Formats: sequence, C-alpha cells, structure tokens
Amino acid sequence: MLKGKNIFLTGADGGMGRAMTKAFAQAGANIWANVIRENEEYSVFAEALALEHGVWIKPMVFDLTDGAALKNAVMAIRAEKVPIDGLVNNAGILREGMLQMMPLADARLLFEVNFFAPFQLMQLVTRLMMRQPNGGAIVNMSSMAAFDGVEGETVYGATKAALASMSKSLAKELGRFKIRVNCIAPGVTETPLISGMSESVLNKDRESTYLRRLGKPEDVAKVAAFLLSDDAQYVTGQVIRVDGGRN
Amino acid sequence: MTNIEKYTQAFVDAFNIDAETAKTLKFQQIPAWDSVGHMGLIAQFEDQFGIMMEPDDIVDLNSFEKGKEMLSSKYGIDFGA
Repeated sequence: MLKGKNIFLTGADGGMGRAMTKAFAQAGANIWANVIRENEEYSVFAEALALEHGVWIKPMVFDLTDGAALKNAVMAIRAEKVPIDGLVNNAGILREGMLQMMPLADARLLFEVNFFAPFQLMQLVTRLMMRQPNGGAIVNMSSMAAFDGVEGETVYGATKAALASMSKSLAKELGRFKIRVNCIAPGVTETPLISGMSESVLNKDRESTYLRRLGKPEDVAKVAAFLLSDDAQYVTGQVIRVDGGRN
Repeated sequence: MTNIEKYTQAFVDAFNIDAETAKTLKFQQIPAWDSVGHMGLIAQFEDQFGIMMEPDDIVDLNSFEKGKEMLSSKYGIDFGA
C-alpha cells in the first residue's frame, strides 16, 4: 500500500507512534521517525522492522516545540534529495483538569505541542511537497474530544479542534498542489496516554461504543496508512473518526 | 553561474519573463506573481541557494530588489559589489 513512499512521522515512539511505525513499515514505507529524546529501545524496534520489511527507518531526535530544531530536521531531509510523500502529525500531549484548575502555562503548552508544532511542520514540509509532481499526503491526529467534548479536557479538545479546522482549510489551500490533508479523530485508545484513567471510567468508555471495546493503536495506524496511500487519492479535507462508533 | 545570475534566473523561470523585466519587478505587478506564483519563486530561491526561508521573510519579499537585499543580509548570499 505504501511501497516506496517516504513518510515523516512525529511522536514515533509513543503508543500510537509505534503502531504507525509498524503499520507503515509493513506497508512498505520508509520512515523518518521523530522522537523527542534518544530512545534505544525504539531504535532497536525500528531496526528490526526495517530489516524485516526491507525499508529504512531513521530516528530523528528533536523537540517539536523547538522551531530551529524543527527547521534543521526538514532541511536535513531535503538534503537527502528524496521526496517527502507523507507527513503524520502524531505527536501530542494530554493535560487534564477542570477549567478552574488548569494552569495557563499548561494550556499554552498544549497549544504549543498539539497545534503550533504541526502548524510549523506543515509550513515547512508543504513547501517541499508543493514542488513534487505527485504532491503529498498529510494526516493530522485530532481526537473525539474535539467534537464531543470531554469533561476535564477543555483545552486538549480545543487544541484538537483547532488542528482539525486547520486541516480542512489547508486541504482547500493545498489541493491545487496535489497535497491531501486529512484528520483522524480516535476515540479512547489503549495507549500510555490513558494510563491514568480508572478502570471504571474505561469500562464506561468501552460500553459507550457500538463495538463494546476500546480502540487499539493498530486500528488507528491502519487508517493512517490508508490515508497516506494512493488508495485514498481522492480523499482530502476529511475527519475520519476511529472510535468504535459513538453517539 | 554567479549568484546574481541564479537569482535573476529564478524570476525568469518562476514567471516566464525575460531578465530585464525581472530586474524591476514588484509583487502582483504581473498576473504570474500572485500568491501561488510567489511560492514558486520561493521554491526557486530555496533550491538554488540551499536555504529555507522564514515565513516572515516570505511575506516581506515583495520585489526583485527587496529579495536581493534580504537574501544577502539574512541568508548570507553574496551578490558581489
């Protein structure tokens, strides 16, 4: 599905990021895998996958909130003189808290990581994609919290709604360059991000889905792989919910 | 090719104009230099000179002369005397 494509994936060593690394490699893609700090265990995981599937996976260590580092990373990729076929803005953080208990600094940090980092990365990467005859595909990770509202996730949901809105506008702006921009809005998914949630809350979430289960990272990764692929070449400006069905 | 020749050629290629026209050109003076054409011009600069321009500079670059001054002062491109 992604054979020969080169994908830039952020937050590659998180729960969702690993599933995406695996799904993309299995589908034949090469990956620039952004991680915030050196992660030996992820590097070993990536090397094994690369060997198994005959692709390359290059961990790129930089903090997405460091604008200069981000620019250097994109320049390094450009210097390789291979196309960037796909970008997945997967990295994100979660800070929960009722409105009155949410420090402004946390709210700003959420926007910095979940919105401004993808914004800047898309500014840089689309400049390269615009020059490619086949354009490119971008997948942004939103959340059901953006659309349904989740108690205690006021700011988190707002960052993800902003990302979804930006994606829709960008899809219109960049369509003429054959660049597709789509969003995935996962429901509650079994990643380390939900490790702090109580079993009773998780049970409630599980029972509230049509499929009576929580999402698995692989459920989301497969949809991301599809959206990056040529099978989705007429799909842009969409928010795909991967949430097991919810009212 | 010297840097000034490369710089001028970027305008020629991006807008399909001759070099003399390029030297006095300003943003939106011709239909080809609209916001989409502008990004094509930036792409030419970035490819020719191996740089990656800042968004503020992309916005500020509004004429042949301004671009030359900017590439020289901010990105260290030497256009000679």
